Amino acid sequence: METTRPLLEIRGLHKRFGAVEVLKGVDLALRKGEVVSIIGSSGSGKTTLLRCVNLLEEFQSGDIVLDGETIGYSTKNGRRHRLSDRELSRQRSMTGMVFQSFNLFPHLTAAGNVMLGLRKVRRMGKAEARALAERWLGRVGLAARADHYPSQLSGGQQQRVAIARALAMDPKLVLLDEVTSALDPELVQEVLNTVKAIADDGATLLIVTHEMRFARDVSDRVVFMDQGQVVEDAPPAEIFVNPRSARLAEFLRNTRT
Amino acid sequence: MQPFLNQIWIARWPLWEGFLLTIEVASAAILFGTVLGCICGIQLVYGPAIVRFPFRVYVDVMRGTPVLVLILAAFYIPSVAGVSLSATQAGVLALSLFAGAHIGELMRGALQAIPPGQAEAARSIGLTFPQTLAYVLLPQALRSALPPWINTGVELIKGSSLLSIIGVGELLLRTQEVIGRTFMTIEFYVFAGALYLLANIFLDQLGKAVERRVQGR
Repeated sequence: METTRPLLEIRGLHKRFGAVEVLKGVDLALRKGEVVSIIGSSGSGKTTLLRCVNLLEEFQSGDIVLDGETIGYSTKNGRRHRLSDRELSRQRSMTGMVFQSFNLFPHLTAAGNVMLGLRKVRRMGKAEARALAERWLGRVGLAARADHYPSQLSGGQQQRVAIARALAMDPKLVLLDEVTSALDPELVQEVLNTVKAIADDGATLLIVTHEMRFARDVSDRVVFMDQGQVVEDAPPAEIFVNPRSARLAEFLRNTRT
Repeated sequence: MQPFLNQIWIARWPLWEGFLLTIEVASAAILFGTVLGCICGIQLVYGPAIVRFPFRVYVDVMRGTPVLVLILAAFYIPSVAGVSLSATQAGVLALSLFAGAHIGELMRGALQAIPPGQAEAARSIGLTFPQTLAYVLLPQALRSALPPWINTGVELIKGSSLLSIIGVGELLLRTQEVIGRTFMTIEFYVFAGALYLLANIFLDQLGKAVERRVQGR
């Protein structure tokens, strides 16, 4: 059974913001090396789902199991507790996240951004961290920009640094949250190519995207979410060619370009 | 002019000591005030409500009270409570508490101005909250708080002149003593004023130089 255990398993996830229920019992599983894209209209809960997996949001019920470890909460005497800052930090370091708005640290260079987690979380020496940072910046095509500050980089370059920052930590799972939505149209492709390259290298990716063609090209499976629930979960060919639900068919009609 | 220069020469050591004490008192106050202000600002932004409340009260009371009243309070209240402070110590205490509140408030503003995505990115790579604060949030907040921080330093150099009221031998009190002896009122007040101005211009330029260094990116 060990070999078939999913890397990430989300079971019955419920998330409320006050009275508004954003996630209404989401189930989703990813195997190691799998690339899964989540599509859906805004407000469907897809970004919130990603933020729950990275423990940036609390959730009210359900479990998220990452590589056999239930993350975010522990249950003692039948009562559910949020874990301590230290434990949450350790679990967050197992997943990498790339944000829509890059969120590079403006006071650090590109290499400094990649090195911070290596130095402080993985406790690497300076030279070792620098070497690894340079290797990752090279992988995203920015070897020559290692000592540039974020303000000296284009949006596409910043996002590629953010991808290097997430991947250098050697996470079990990488979460990509609408990574091209804040980019100028001509910069989108360079970031998508970078994502495609890391997918081809065997990284496990959970992607929220509005780029339908990209989702179709890169994904093993595509998940359609609507109103806080997973409506369809199938290989891209089925999702895009034979949508089973009326809601997905309508969503695809409205987003076709 | 010659008699005035003669008198300055005669009074050079008391005036120099007064000037030094002014700088020392202001420096001590900005140092303690900065430590206090950082703690205060962090608590005001990230502390739980029960911790936030006393800091809020402290900041509002200090900012809502004239500095002179704070100085008199720091001078008289400890002795009633059985703690004996010298006039200089009381003065440093008052100015530090005053500076702590102002710096606390400007640190709060600087921390709140950082986009929430910064802390999220830091957490997502696995930094704990203290690490996030030390390596991501404070470096950015200190940078944007620098200009108003220099401003607070200028306020403290000027505010230290109020300590003459409780008998701290800083520049203004020394000047008044010289005037009491020579009756050259206007000359010596202008002279003291010029020294304050020089110290503040220096501090201002220092601040601008640091600012250029850290914000040229």
